[in-house]
Amino acid sequence: MLVVAEREQLPVLQAKAGEPEAWDILFRRYQLPLYVYVFELVHDEQTSLDLVQETFIAAVRYIGSLRDDAKFGSWLFGIAHQKCLQRWRKQNREEILLDEIPDAPNEFENRPDDLLIHREQEAEFMNLLNQLPPPQRSVLLLHFVEDFSLDEIAGITGAAVGTVKSRLHYAKKSLRKLLEEKK
Amino acid sequence: MKTPREILLEQHRSAAPKLDAIRREVLAEKVTPARAGGSGALAAVWLNWPAMLWRELIWPCRRIWTGLAAVWILIFVFNFSQRDPSELLARKTPTPTPEMILAFRQQERLLAELIGPNETRSAEPTPKPFLPQPRSEGRFETLAA
Repeated sequence: MLVVAEREQLPVLQAKAGEPEAWDILFRRYQLPLYVYVFELVHDEQTSLDLVQETFIAAVRYIGSLRDDAKFGSWLFGIAHQKCLQRWRKQNREEILLDEIPDAPNEFENRPDDLLIHREQEAEFMNLLNQLPPPQRSVLLLHFVEDFSLDEIAGITGAAVGTVKSRLHYAKKSLRKLLEEKK
Repeated sequence: MKTPREILLEQHRSAAPKLDAIRREVLAEKVTPARAGGSGALAAVWLNWPAMLWRELIWPCRRIWTGLAAVWILIFVFNFSQRDPSELLARKTPTPTPEMILAFRQQERLLAELIGPNETRSAEPTPKPFLPQPRSEGRFETLAA
């Protein structure tokens, strides 16, 4: 069952008006997916919690700059992504985000739930995810966790749609290959 | 069989209490009707603009701002050291007031009266302009007579 397939109605307008209840709903909705995304990129619990907190604070501060309320989710993940990049830059690991990968073929699997994983494969899945280069891991997580579209992922990561497409294709291909091997 | 999303969320479910605490903290400290978005936000921004300016503009690039400030100070110091001192003195001398000019004229007139016009002439004889005169014509005439 894919929970995020349909776009739910979120009280973004009320949040813009400063209603604490609206912010509570929004934060509740995104706190875990956001944490998962950040943690799988930085691999440190405390850093991930700090980054989630910084993301929430930035969201409250800059909510006025959000033009399309329907894009709140991708906007929030975009903030988190930028925070991760800042953290990387501090650690001089920026170069790992700049790897070049060849163009993806035209076919593209659009659903994150087309990949079903057996219980016994879960550990392998997580291991493989961690082995992927950060750019591929990032797009794969955004695709899996929130089912963002290619355009949204491109907006979040600041990469071109074609680049996102190729990263997602190769990440999924690697994942499939490993899962096939382990069967 | 699970979707990757389910696996990922389950893996990190243990962080939920900490995330709840963070959410409550942010809600308590940062979310107020005046701060987030709404009509009161503008007033809050205007009231807090110096702090905001410092936090958003100055502090993140503090090294760059410090460098720029140092460069400007150097430019000012260099500029002052290269300035002509006579120019400064001339600027410092106050412009004479009409009263001062009047007093100066009166003193000048008084001095002229005391010295007198003839004495001034004799004291300072004007040099006669040199006019070339015929040297021999007059002499020839007397000789002829």
